[in-house]
Amino acid sequence: MNGASPVLIGFLVAAAAILVVMAAVARTTIEPPETQAAVTSTGYRLRKGWLWALGAAAVVALAISLPSFPYGKPATLAGKHFTVIASQYSFELPQAVPAGTSVVFDVTSKDVNHGFGIYDPRGRLIAQVQAMPDYVNHLPLRFGVKGHYLVRCLEYCGIAHAGMQGAFEVR
Amino acid sequence: MSSARRIMWAYLTTGIAVFGLMVLVGLAMRMEQAHWVTYDPGSFYALMTLHGSGMIVALALCGMGGLWFIMDRERAMDQGLAWSAYALIVLGVVAVILSVYPGRFGAGWTFLFPLPFVGTTWPNWATGTFLIGVALVMLGWTVYCMQLLGCVLSKYGGLRGAMGWDLVFHHDAFVASGRPEPPPAAFAALITAVDGLFASAGGMLVGVALIIHWIDPTVAIDPLWAKNLTYLFGHTFANLTIYMAIAFVYVALPRYAQREWHTSQVLAIAWWGTLLFVATAYFHHLYMDFVQPRGVQYIGEVASYLAAFPPAVVTIFGGALLVYRSRLRWTMSSMFMYAGLVGWLIGGVGALIDATVPINVSLHNTLWVPAHFHTYLLEGVTLFVFGWIFADLEARTGLVSSLATRWITGLGIFGGGAVLLLGWYVAGAASVPRRYAEQPAPGPAIAAWASAGAILLILGLVVCLIEAVRLARARTIETAA
Repeated sequence: MNGASPVLIGFLVAAAAILVVMAAVARTTIEPPETQAAVTSTGYRLRKGWLWALGAAAVVALAISLPSFPYGKPATLAGKHFTVIASQYSFELPQAVPAGTSVVFDVTSKDVNHGFGIYDPRGRLIAQVQAMPDYVNHLPLRFGVKGHYLVRCLEYCGIAHAGMQGAFEVR
Repeated sequence: MSSARRIMWAYLTTGIAVFGLMVLVGLAMRMEQAHWVTYDPGSFYALMTLHGSGMIVALALCGMGGLWFIMDRERAMDQGLAWSAYALIVLGVVAVILSVYPGRFGAGWTFLFPLPFVGTTWPNWATGTFLIGVALVMLGWTVYCMQLLGCVLSKYGGLRGAMGWDLVFHHDAFVASGRPEPPPAAFAALITAVDGLFASAGGMLVGVALIIHWIDPTVAIDPLWAKNLTYLFGHTFANLTIYMAIAFVYVALPRYAQREWHTSQVLAIAWWGTLLFVATAYFHHLYMDFVQPRGVQYIGEVASYLAAFPPAVVTIFGGALLVYRSRLRWTMSSMFMYAGLVGWLIGGVGALIDATVPINVSLHNTLWVPAHFHTYLLEGVTLFVFGWIFADLEARTGLVSSLATRWITGLGIFGGGAVLLLGWYVAGAASVPRRYAEQPAPGPAIAAWASAGAILLILGLVVCLIEAVRLARARTIETAA
C-alpha cells in the first residue's frame, strides 16, 4: 500500500459508519411506530447537532488544507527551474534534479492538454500539474528522497495516452 | 395511460435502454483493463467516450421524464415542447453513437481542446458529428429547462414565490395568507432549471466555438477558457441528474412511510445553497491548472464542501427521519430509494476527499475519480430512478415483489456494485491513473475482481428488469380485464 492508503482507510471507515447508521434507522421500521411529530421534534434537535458537527469538520478541513495548497507563491518559485515540454506521446524532461533543495518545473505542452504526474521510487503519485498548450504551469517541489522518478501523463491526450511516460533521477 | 404519463415513460424507457447498453460497454472496458478480453486502444477510447456521454444522457433522460411528470401535475405543461426536447436529445444521442461507430471518435465526453483536432486517429466528420450531437442534447436540455422554469414560476408566483422567499423571511404572514408553499420537488425543479440553463449557456458557448473551429481551423480558441466552460457544463449537468432524481424520493418515499415530506424554511434555504454551490463547485476540476486565478481554487474547495451540506443535513437526514420508526412498507421502490440515499452520501464522502486540494494532488485523474462519481450515479441516481419506476408500477398494479426477489436484486446491485466500486477506490488510492486502456500494476488485478463485481451487478439488474416487466405486464392484463 502507498501513502494514499490513510485516505482510503478514512473513506472506508466513514462509509462503514454511514452504512451502520442507515441500516439501524431502516431496522426501526420493524419496531412499534412513532408519530411523525414525535420523531421530528427529536430529529430536528439532532439535525442541529449534525449541522454543527459537519460545520466544525469543514472548518477544520479548510484550516488544514488551505495553507497546504500547492500553488507556487513568488517566494517558493525561487528554486532552480527545469523546463518540461509534453507532446503526444512523450515528455522532454531534465535527466536529473537535485535532492534536498527547492526546484520548480515549468510545464507546458506543444499540442494538446497532458498531465505531468510524478511517481516516487515506491510508485506513489506525489505531485502533478497540467501541461497545457499556450500556458506554462509552475510546479514548485522539494525532493527529500533520491532515486528514479517516473512521470506519467495524467490527462487523457489521445490513443497512446496510457503509454506516455518519462523519467528523471533525483540525486 | 394518460398522454402526460406517456411522455414520462418515453423518457424513462429511452433512458433505461441507453443505460443498459452503457452498462455493457462499461463491463467491456473493465474486462479489457483486466486482460479478460483484448482489443485495440482506439476501440477502448471510443467505448469510453460512448460510455461517459451515454450514461450521463441516460440518467438525465430518466430524471427529466420523471420530474416533468411530477411538475406537470402541479401545472400542466405544453406536451409538444416536452416531445421536442425529447426528440432533440434522441437525435443528439444518435449522432454521438454514429460518431463512435462507425466514426471511432474517442476524445472522451469532456474532452479538452485542442484534443479532438490534433493528432487524432478518427476522421474529421466523426469529430463534427460528435460536436453536433452534443449540441443537440444541450439544445433539448435548454428547451426542457426553460419549460420547467416557466412551470415553476407561473405556478408559485414568480421567482420570489418559487424560491420560498416569503416562507423563509415573512413566515407568519405567509402562513396567514393561506398561499401554498412550493412542495420539495418544486425546489428540485427550480434549481434544475436555473442551474441547467446556466450550465447550458456555458456549454453552448464552447460548443459553438468548437463547431466553428471544426469548420474553420484558423479560428483560435483559448485552451483554458475552453476547459473552464467544458467543466462548467459537464460538472453541472452531471450533478443535476442527482437533483432531478431526488424529486422522486420527495414524492414517493413518504407514500411508503405513510408520512409527509413538507417544505420547511430549512429545506428552502438548503436549496438556495444548492443553487449556488452546484454552479460554483466545478472549479475543483481545474485544481491542477496552476494558471487559474488562485481565488477560484479557493472557491472550488469551499463550494465543494458547502455543496455537501444541503443533501447531508436536509435531504438525506430528512429521508432517514422520514423512515425512522415509521410504518414503512419495504418494496422494490422504497428499498431502492432508501439505498440511493445511502449511496449518495457515501459517494459524497469520496467526492469531498477528492475536493480537498492537498489530497487532490495525489488523487486527481486517478481511479478515485470514477470511484466516487460511480458511487453516487450508480448507487444513488440510478436507484432513485429504479425506485420511481417501481413506485409507478406498484401503485398502478397494487402488486409488490417477493422478499426473495428483493434479496436477489439487492445482493446483485448493492453487493456486486460494492465490489465494483471498491476496485476503483483501492486502485485510485494506489495512484493508478484513470482513462488508461492499459493500466500499470496493480490496476489489472484490481480490474479483474471489479469485473466480477460488475457481472454480479448486471445479474441483479437483469432480475430487476424482469421484475419490472412482470409488473408492467400485470398492469396491462389488469387494464385489459
